[in-house]
Amino acid sequence: MSTQSILGLFQQPESAADAMDGLKEAGFELGTFDVLTGTPYPEGAFGEYVPQHRLFRFPAFGAIIGFTLSIFLTSVTQLAYPMVTGGKPILSIFAMLIIMYEMTMLAGVIATVIGIVFESRLPNMKPGIYDTRITEGWIGVVVTFDDDSKVADAESVLNKAGALEIKHAK
Amino acid sequence: MASEAVAHESEHHAPPPQVAADVIAQELIATTTGATGRFKAWAWILGILSIAGIVALIVKFIDQGDDSTKWGYVAAMVSFLLSLAGGAPMVAMAPVMAKANWVRPITRIASLFSFAGVATLIMLIPLVAILPPLVTEGARRRTVWFMAPDYSPHFWTTLGLVLLLVTGIMLFYSAALPDFASMRDHSTGWRQRLGKRLARGWVGTDAQWRTLRMRIGMFGTFYFFILVFVNFLISTDFGQSMVPGWRDAIFPMYHTVSGFQAGVAGVVIALYFSRKYMKLEKYVHMDAFWSLGRLLFALTLLWIYFFYSSFIVFWYGRSENDIATLDLLIKGPMMPVFIAAMLLIWFVPWWILIWNKVRRGTGAMVVGSFIILIGLLLDRIRTFVPAWSVPPDQIHEKWLKVIPDAYWPSIFDVLIMVGGISLVALIVMLMTRVIPVLSVWQVQEFNLLSKPIKYIRGHATLVAKPD
Amino acid sequence: MQQRRELDQVYTNRKLLNGQLDTPKWWAPTVTILGIVVVLGLIVIAVMINKGLGMTGLARPVYWGLFITTFVFWVGISHAGIMISAILRLTQAEWRRPVTRAAELLTVFSLLTALVFPLIHAGRPWRIAYWIMPYDLARGIYPNIRSPLNMDPVAISTYLTGSTLFLYIALLPDLGNLRDRTTGWKNAMYTVLALGWRGNPRQWKMQTVGGILLSALMLPIFVSVHSIVSWDFAVASAVEGWHSTIFAPYFVIGAVHSGVSAVVTMMALMRWLWKWDDFIRPEHFDALARLLIVVSTGWLGFTFLELIFALYGQDAPEIALREMQMFQWPWNGLFILFFLTAYAIPVPMWLFKRVRTNIALMFWTSILVNIGMWLERFLIIVPGLARRTPFVYTWEAYRPSAVEWTIFIWSFAWVTFLMLLFSKFFPLVPLFEQKESQVFTTDVMIGRAKVPAIIREAD
Repeated sequence: MSTQSILGLFQQPESAADAMDGLKEAGFELGTFDVLTGTPYPEGAFGEYVPQHRLFRFPAFGAIIGFTLSIFLTSVTQLAYPMVTGGKPILSIFAMLIIMYEMTMLAGVIATVIGIVFESRLPNMKPGIYDTRITEGWIGVVVTFDDDSKVADAESVLNKAGALEIKHAK
Repeated sequence: MASEAVAHESEHHAPPPQVAADVIAQELIATTTGATGRFKAWAWILGILSIAGIVALIVKFIDQGDDSTKWGYVAAMVSFLLSLAGGAPMVAMAPVMAKANWVRPITRIASLFSFAGVATLIMLIPLVAILPPLVTEGARRRTVWFMAPDYSPHFWTTLGLVLLLVTGIMLFYSAALPDFASMRDHSTGWRQRLGKRLARGWVGTDAQWRTLRMRIGMFGTFYFFILVFVNFLISTDFGQSMVPGWRDAIFPMYHTVSGFQAGVAGVVIALYFSRKYMKLEKYVHMDAFWSLGRLLFALTLLWIYFFYSSFIVFWYGRSENDIATLDLLIKGPMMPVFIAAMLLIWFVPWWILIWNKVRRGTGAMVVGSFIILIGLLLDRIRTFVPAWSVPPDQIHEKWLKVIPDAYWPSIFDVLIMVGGISLVALIVMLMTRVIPVLSVWQVQEFNLLSKPIKYIRGHATLVAKPD
Repeated sequence: MQQRRELDQVYTNRKLLNGQLDTPKWWAPTVTILGIVVVLGLIVIAVMINKGLGMTGLARPVYWGLFITTFVFWVGISHAGIMISAILRLTQAEWRRPVTRAAELLTVFSLLTALVFPLIHAGRPWRIAYWIMPYDLARGIYPNIRSPLNMDPVAISTYLTGSTLFLYIALLPDLGNLRDRTTGWKNAMYTVLALGWRGNPRQWKMQTVGGILLSALMLPIFVSVHSIVSWDFAVASAVEGWHSTIFAPYFVIGAVHSGVSAVVTMMALMRWLWKWDDFIRPEHFDALARLLIVVSTGWLGFTFLELIFALYGQDAPEIALREMQMFQWPWNGLFILFFLTAYAIPVPMWLFKRVRTNIALMFWTSILVNIGMWLERFLIIVPGLARRTPFVYTWEAYRPSAVEWTIFIWSFAWVTFLMLLFSKFFPLVPLFEQKESQVFTTDVMIGRAKVPAIIREAD
């Protein structure tokens, strides 16, 4: 058993949506076929499977780490090397807050960026079957199988929907 | 986080139902008649409280009209009512400028608050009489009126507030013309006669619509500038200049921005109750709450930003007047009030509104809005009450030498505060009997410009953006 | 409203990737000339560091001069990026699309430049290591977190890191596009940078949701950065004209004013140089100018408050300072120039649609604004220090030296140089945003009128 995928290329979004419908009807499981576009379309435009994501947890997680580190940095350094300046207390909460705020936000942003990359399932240096015309407005419908017997089924669905070209890849 | 939808709540996803234009007119006009028993009961209660408040104000004036240190709560009330009733109509303006579609159905309810400016004006009358003149006993206190005549603050604040009331009503009226015409055509009794008189021959010609749009833009811009001006005067003349050494350049802006926050909160509350009790779910979509929620969320953050920007400069400054100002307004006897205000105006609503789920519902939104209003009232109290409790003989000093004790409200002060708030609520409630609480023509326009569509296989909303 | 224009994707690719795929003729000579200026500037900086700050005009009591003014100026410019990109993303303004990338880029490069100034101003920049790791623990001191001078680097490095990452995330789909259009080593480079982008729904969803989330996170950072820069001045109660509570929002809104104007300048240049008439259109300038009218009028209000409350205290030194700033030569000349260029000339002009849609006029007025905003910073920073006070016996006014002016000019060449270098490898207009707007806009018929419309996802 080997993983194999085929890619059908369409010029019209309608045809690509037909292909997606066809694949669903032909009994392909959600998640084994996907649509590739050069531009975002409104969600659900192809009746595609939109996976849930957990992006919103990342900034919260990052912010907690950043906040903790910032408390450490601002308080421990000042306690370790106490020197009164400007008549302010050693632990000046209102000055510390500013640094704590920046560090919290920084960690939050970094975690979000990691989250975006992770939730996009990147980096993916072996992205699989692809066609450069997708970034020129063509729409690709990619089907992945473990089972070679279904290749012909998928191909016929794609052809019926009006695929202009079909590519294969192991 | 202010962000896109993740989960798929069914209510939010429901496309706005398309209702025929004539049904909109009939249903919305029908909301003005047939008040329920509960509505009448509330109107009576609020009416009695308002009258009690006004009576208390008069009695207080007769009794304590010569002692300005006792008038802090009334000053706080003027500031609070200006924030609430003055800020709300801005909701009808700001998003309109940004051409947001969601705001169309709710501009009316926001502009109804203009009438509540009457309550602010009533509170201001005794206060103007009590406000010390610029020069007393030959000494001039620090104000923004450097060389101006002695009674400048008294005159300009009153004029500003009257102008605000008039402009607000004009803003309301210029947008209400087509609805008065609808009432003329579809209502009965005194409402029909009123519609006939106020519609001024509106039939909806192209020229009339053009004039209408121009008027709304014009009065909206005027309203904004007058509002900023009045906020500036109230916050400086009735706040800062009562305290020697309080020099806070951001305070007028802080006052304006937190006023806008109160206005948005007020609109959310009014919208919630009218939607619920007048059965307007068909017309007030979740989209409006969602957008107002984001606005409110941004404003809570703006509050803490403005506060901190001012606080940190005083805190670092450490000059005598910096220290005295902090002691008077924050660290001194007002500290518990200040902490409560900060929690209620910023932290708690911020933490409530940060959740997408909350902003997509109505219940928690309205709770958040009430919390903000309570917080804002406390914030006005912690600034204006200590400011007014500074004895007049110290007003010319370079800075405040003795921090006055906290002044607790008397029974009259409580009655005045309750009465003032009741009067605002009463005015808005009664106005819903005069004109539909949602603008008929704007609901129609909303439906014309935004349609649920099927996009290939997905669902989306098509929003037309005419210009 | 944005007029819809049918542009197919092949054409969009060809036009918007013209900087990377076929370099325009003017590019190499321009970059060479700028490169020479940059190198000369770096030599001057090196010499100044070697000889010491005596080469500048800085002397008692004016220790903060042209360098710090220019630092604040570039931090101000950097506020364009996130303002445009984040606020317009959050409000779903359709006209943001061609503007975002250029604005974010301006943020990154102007921040990089801004950072140079306090560094060289310190005189011995290698000692900056002390900020990161105090090597001199024998004295028992550690960088004092109570000092705004310490908060500055923290805030700016947060902003720089955040906006660089933001820029990269938004660049991913375009990197995928470039990978598909190139061969050889360039293809290898873009393949690595694109991280294997394919354009499936999951990735697009992350672009939109992540973009909005990042915007929401970057906005508070953006506000904090210039606020903290303003506190460098505002918390110093000893200098007249600095100790004002309004400084934080006043600096932020001024920064937005100058930053958005800088974006206008840049957009005009992009349209002319790369011939992107189809993408950067008069209506974009119109929208930016409308935004600028609001921002600049708000800024004027803050300026007014700052002035009123400076005089409010009626302290003699403060009044003397304001008198000097506004009525004494040469400050009065600068003050008039500042007011004319920052507000009085450009803003009334923008009230006319004919000006707003005239790209040449927008270009020149936006440059005027930035001259004015530079002067504003100069007039805030220097007069407060330069005023004659008791016990200061150096009565000569501050005069920036040739070295300072050279480094000032260098900073402009440096930002432009970096920008052009970037344009050689990466598109300045986001292609996917451009294509997205083709998908998400349409025309509807209301009666007989054709009205532009936007497709909103049911969120």
